[in-house]
Amino acid sequence: MRPLLLALCLLLPLSLTPLPLAAQMVEESLGRDPGPLDFIQGDSYEQWILQSLAGDALVGLGPDGRVVPRLASSWKAQKDGAIHFTLRPDARYPDGASVSAEDVVWTVRELLRHPQASATKRAILEGAEVGVDQGRPWIRSRKPAGRLLMELARVPIAQRGHPERGSGPFAFRKEPGAWVFTRRDHFLKPRIDGIRFRLLADPGAVMTALQKGWLHIGAPATRRQAEVPPTHRLLTQPMHAQLVVWSRTGVGQLQLLERWRRDAFPPQLLGQNARPSRGLWPETLGFETQAIDAGAALPKGPGSWTLHYVAGDESIEKLLLALRERARKDGFHLQLIPLEQGLLGERLHKGDFQLACAVVVFDPHPWAVLEYLEPKGPMNFSGWQHPRLAELSARLQQGGEFDWRNLQSLWARNPAALPLLDFRSVIWVDRNLQVVPSPMGLYLHTPGAAGWRWSRE
Amino acid sequence: MSRITAGLVVWGLGLALALGLPGSVWRQAAPPGFPWAAVGPTILAVGTLSLLAPLVAWRGGPGLASRRSLALLEAPPDLLWAGLLLALWPAAWGPPGLGGWLVAFLVAALPGEARWLAQAMPAEHPFPQAWGRAAVNRVRWLVLLRLWGRWTTARLPVWLTATLVLERILGVPGLGTDWMTRVAVRDRAGLAGWILALALLWLLSHRLDREVA
Repeated sequence: MRPLLLALCLLLPLSLTPLPLAAQMVEESLGRDPGPLDFIQGDSYEQWILQSLAGDALVGLGPDGRVVPRLASSWKAQKDGAIHFTLRPDARYPDGASVSAEDVVWTVRELLRHPQASATKRAILEGAEVGVDQGRPWIRSRKPAGRLLMELARVPIAQRGHPERGSGPFAFRKEPGAWVFTRRDHFLKPRIDGIRFRLLADPGAVMTALQKGWLHIGAPATRRQAEVPPTHRLLTQPMHAQLVVWSRTGVGQLQLLERWRRDAFPPQLLGQNARPSRGLWPETLGFETQAIDAGAALPKGPGSWTLHYVAGDESIEKLLLALRERARKDGFHLQLIPLEQGLLGERLHKGDFQLACAVVVFDPHPWAVLEYLEPKGPMNFSGWQHPRLAELSARLQQGGEFDWRNLQSLWARNPAALPLLDFRSVIWVDRNLQVVPSPMGLYLHTPGAAGWRWSRE
Repeated sequence: MSRITAGLVVWGLGLALALGLPGSVWRQAAPPGFPWAAVGPTILAVGTLSLLAPLVAWRGGPGLASRRSLALLEAPPDLLWAGLLLALWPAAWGPPGLGGWLVAFLVAALPGEARWLAQAMPAEHPFPQAWGRAAVNRVRWLVLLRLWGRWTTARLPVWLTATLVLERILGVPGLGTDWMTRVAVRDRAGLAGWILALALLWLLSHRLDREVA
């Protein structure tokens, strides 16, 4: 009996000693497989999230959209168009090596050289030169410094020779069926232990996982009007995302769509996720609402047009059906043709459509709209051009300025695309998790996930 | 035209379709790495199914093919089984993961496969029924042994790819998700690799399944 008591006395203090808690990971989901983490080739929304966690760009964009320091603690624009950056001394890769000017040069040159490099990043750096001056990297481009800085926030720096390695606030590892990020010793001082993403492609499954408490963050399925579970809170925020219609057959159809978008969509169908667009370019990027100013009479019915769209999104399909009914009232038949995403992409690139619509997520700066206008712009599907474009776009400095208004007026006279809906992000977030919302979402700004914390800390 | 040649023509057409898949992606994305971690669980799932289904068919015999209860179990789509599993899975256990996926896969696939085999079995009346239970069991055993190779070959591509629905709902990315992602990012080389691997399996099983003269 005595040895047993002795053993119990020895074990009691041990049982009272708090055991180290398992890391409090944030459980999240991804809708699509982002592919391997690759700072050179990776190019999708999901890949951007991965890169923003595992990497650092020279500069970041704050939640309000302003340029803030990231890898570079300061920068200076020179008269010759070059921007010189001063790198932080405490930025390090997971192997302990410091981030150097040579890494910046290697990343930029690799993005320009590699045939499979991200098209978005290559467009940002098109015509750019990069170099090192007294240990400090510099980048020179034809673009105005304000634009280049904002766009550079989308270009995380990789370690030389290691396109999969960044210096971001979280270390990445791939597990079977999961993408796991764990906190690192980093200048942004992340306060959560990490984030684990699971691939959940089905919105209904995301909803169930949220309701069962298996996810801390997630977007509820739009088709269900479900109550927020007591463990979560609702978070809504505007996004730089719109449902856009392109026209290959002139501005007449867009003028009619501009009229129809005002009253085509019943509020209960839109829910909290969307509202009818009011202008031509996203208001979230600082643009004033501008109507089409073609000076031509509206087309008269009857008429029949085809509208191609991406198949598979139930909420978008319902909204387009509502639009079709609105068109019918004016004597127009809108033939809706769903297409697989890749097939629609091909039609858009070939210009083989009358009307086509897709959801567009704009980069978080006003220059993103130039993708509609520039001769090889990724959203210029109708070959839109204007002799004054080059002159006007060269003068653009900050959003909301006079030159931006001039450019928008130019577009308003003969637009090739019109937004129908402005989207809002509606997500459920665990009540104990404090996040930093922004129109860029929760991840793509600075500090992004590094600024999150558990409130019971 | 021999059966091998006809089969190779079909696989060749599949290969041509994969290599010439129409469409282009808006923003070029790198294809995903092959999910090697999913190979083990898939072999386990397919292996379990390829043992359980013949066992059920052996037990039920050709009469199983017309049994209403089996048809009732076979009718619901994978989507329903996965949704049901997800709804019934206790929240405290965490996400179902691979175990849940395996259960849902077997529940969804087993009734259909057992019926497939039962339908291919010859009638047992009057013989071998007249010879007694032992003879019936022996005949069923020999028939299923003969069918096993062809059945596996015919159904393997379906099993490997049809798990997509279960994978999407249960959040367990595997081989189904892999080929779907390759379609989405227009990874034509990767898809061609899939077709070639399946064709090779087919060819291999065809050689193993050669008719005895």
